[in-house]
Amino acid sequence: MARHNLSTVVSFEFFRTITKSRFWIGTLSVPVVMGIVIALIYLSNSSTSAATDARGDAQFSISYTDASGFITPEQAAAFGAEPAPAQEQAIAAVRNESLDAYFVFPVNPVTQPIRVYGVDEGIFENGKYSAVAQAMLDTAVQARIEDPAVVALTQAEPVVEVITYADGAEAEAGGINAIIPPMFYIVIFYALIVLLAGQMLASTLEEKENRVTEMILTTLNPTTLISGKVISLFLLGALQIILFSAPMIIGYLFFRQQIHIPDVDLSTLIFDPQTITVGFLLMVGGFSLFTTTLVALGTIMPTAKEARNFMGIMIALLFVPAYAVPLIVSNPQALIVQLFTYFPYSAPVTAMLRNGFGSLDLLEAGIVISILFIGSAIMLRLAVKLFQYGSISYTSRISLTKALSPKRRPAPAHT
Amino acid sequence: MDFGQATVVEDLSFEVRAGETFGFLGSNGSGKTTTIRALLGIYQPTSGNLHIKGRPFRPEEGGRLGYLPEERGLYKKEKVIDTMTYFGRLKGLSRDQARTWSMGYLERVALADKASSRLDKLSGGQQQKVQLGVTIMNSPELLILDEPTKGFDPVNRHLLMDIIEEQRLQGATVVMVTHQMEEVERLCDRVILLKNGRAEAYGTIDAVQNQYWGRSVRLTYTGTIPASNLYEPIRVGHNDAELSLADDQDEADVLRQLVQAGVRVRSFTTAKTSLEDIFLQVYGDQNEHPGTGSRQASSHRAGEPTTLQPAGA
Repeated sequence: MARHNLSTVVSFEFFRTITKSRFWIGTLSVPVVMGIVIALIYLSNSSTSAATDARGDAQFSISYTDASGFITPEQAAAFGAEPAPAQEQAIAAVRNESLDAYFVFPVNPVTQPIRVYGVDEGIFENGKYSAVAQAMLDTAVQARIEDPAVVALTQAEPVVEVITYADGAEAEAGGINAIIPPMFYIVIFYALIVLLAGQMLASTLEEKENRVTEMILTTLNPTTLISGKVISLFLLGALQIILFSAPMIIGYLFFRQQIHIPDVDLSTLIFDPQTITVGFLLMVGGFSLFTTTLVALGTIMPTAKEARNFMGIMIALLFVPAYAVPLIVSNPQALIVQLFTYFPYSAPVTAMLRNGFGSLDLLEAGIVISILFIGSAIMLRLAVKLFQYGSISYTSRISLTKALSPKRRPAPAHT
Repeated sequence: MDFGQATVVEDLSFEVRAGETFGFLGSNGSGKTTTIRALLGIYQPTSGNLHIKGRPFRPEEGGRLGYLPEERGLYKKEKVIDTMTYFGRLKGLSRDQARTWSMGYLERVALADKASSRLDKLSGGQQQKVQLGVTIMNSPELLILDEPTKGFDPVNRHLLMDIIEEQRLQGATVVMVTHQMEEVERLCDRVILLKNGRAEAYGTIDAVQNQYWGRSVRLTYTGTIPASNLYEPIRVGHNDAELSLADDQDEADVLRQLVQAGVRVRSFTTAKTSLEDIFLQVYGDQNEHPGTGSRQASSHRAGEPTTLQPAGA
C-alpha cells in the first residue's frame, strides 16, 4: 500500500505541475530565448554566407584601396572588386549608392582595422561586407605562402595530446578536456536549484495554505507524502534539464555549420570514471539536501511570502563558494576552502569544483558525499516530523523547538 | 492531552460500537476537535490512542477511515475530478474505479458539470460537497465528521444527512462532532458530552436525558409559575415553559397544582428533555458574565417578578 501511495503521490505531484502553464512558461523561457539567439545567429550567418557566395554577381559592386600590398588586382577581381581611383570619390559613390561597398585595407591589418563603407542593407545583410573583405585578405595572404602544407596549417586547428607522468607512471593530464565533463554537473546543479527552489518550498506549503493537511495525514503516511514530493521534484528537475539541453543538442547536431558552432571533438573530452562518478554523487547529494531542506522550510512557514525570505538565504549559500573560486583552484587546503568543502550547504559546489580541478581526493569525496546524503536523510526526517506535527498550525509559523521537543505538540489551532 | 502547561483533554476514554452513529458533543473550546486530532495522530497525545477493531489506527490504512475535518480544504488549484481521483487512489481504489465513483457521486450531488472545474471556482457549499465525497470514498468503516453541516443550507444539509445515513446503513460506524442537537437526536445512537476536556455525560441519548432531567412537561400558559417540589424549571419563557419531573412524579399532579395556583394552562405535553436543553444546562454557565444573568432569566418581561430560576443558572 505504501508503495502504491508513493507512486500515486509522485504521479499526482508531477503531472499537476507539468499541466500548469506557469511551469512551461518558466521552463521554456530559457530554451526559447536560446532558440531565438540561435535563430538570429543562423539568419545572420546565412545571409552573410549567401552574400559571400554571390560575390561574383553584378549585384554586389566593390572597390578597394590596399595599403598593405597583399592584395593583387587579379585576386580582387575574383571577388568582383576593382581598385578605387581615390578614397573620397569611392566613399561618395557609396553614399549616392552607385557603388555597393568600398574596402580600405590598412598598412598593417594585424594591428589596424580594415575599414568598410557600404550601402545599408539591414542588420543581417550588412554582414556580407566584412565577410567578403576578410575573405579577400585571407585569399591574398594564403596565395603568398608557397607550401600547401603551411596553407593547410593556417586553416586548421592542430590537435595536441599531452602525456604526463606522476611517480614514474603515465598519468592523465587532459587539461580543459578533463575538467569540462565534471564541471557540467555544477551547471546542472545551479540550474536545478535556482529553477526549482520555489517549487520545493511551495510543495508542502500548499497543503497548509489549502487546509489539506488533516485530510492527507489521515489518508497516508507523512513519510510517503514527503518522499513522493521529493521524488517528483527530482523528475521535474530531469525534465527541465532535458528541455534546457534540447536547443543546444539540436543546434549542435543539425545546425552546427549554419551557426558556426566550433566542431568540438567529443572524443577529446576525458571522462575519468572516478571523477564522473564523484561529480554525479555530489550533484545528486547536493540536490537532495537542498530539496529536503526547502521542503522542510515549507512546512514551518504559514505563507509562501514568508517562505521566500528564507529561500533567498538558501540561494545565497549556493553562490557563496563562487566568490572563492580562485582560492579553491589554487589552494584547496586553505582553511576557508576546507570550511566550504565540509559545510553541508556550501559543500556541493565547492566539492564539485575541486573534483573538476582534480584536488578532491577519494577520501575527501567520500566524506563530503556522506555529509550530503546523511544531511538529506536528516532533513527528510525533519520535514516529515515538521509536516506531521507542525503543518496543522495553519496560520502561524511553527516553533522548531516546540515541534521537535520530546512531547512534539503544536499549539492548538482549534479545539 | 497537554498544550504547554494547559491540560486540554484529560482522562477521556470512550467506545464507539461498530455500526452505530455516535455524537461527540461539546461547547466551543471543550476539546472535541483536539480529541479527534489526537486520536487520529494529527496531534501527538500525552498518552492514549485510537483502536479500530482492537488494532491501533495507522494513517497509511486510511482506506478504513473517512475523516471530514472541521478545517475544510482541498487542492484548490486542481480540477475537482483530479482531486477526487487522487484521494480515491490513496484510499486504495484504482484510477478507473476512483474516477467512476467520483463521477457517480458528483451526479448525485448535482456537481457533474463541475467535474473539470478548478476547486477554487466552486462555491463554499459545493467545495464542501466535494470534500464529503472524498471523505466517504471507498466505503470507510469508520466515518468521523467534524461539524459536517457547517456552511450548508437546509436543502444541502438534508442531502448530507441522507448520505451519512446511507453510509451507516451500509455498515459504516459514524462519529459526528456537532452543535446541531436536532441532528444528534435524529441520527445518533449514543453520545458523549465533553466539558473542559472530560466526559460530562456518556451513553445512549435516553440515558443522558435521564441523567439530567429525564421526563419533562412543556406548556404554554399565562400567569406566573409557582415554585414547587413537584418539578424543576428547565426553561421559563414569556408564555411557555419546560419543567423537569422527577422519575416517579405524576404529570397530572403537576397540572393540577399549576391550575390551582392560578396559571391558565393552554397546552400541556409530556416529553423527554431535549438534548438542546441539556446542552444549555451543561454549558450554559460558560458564557455568563457577572451581572448579565442567564438566557432564561433575560427572557422574562421587564418588571415581571421571576418566580423560578432555571436549574444551573
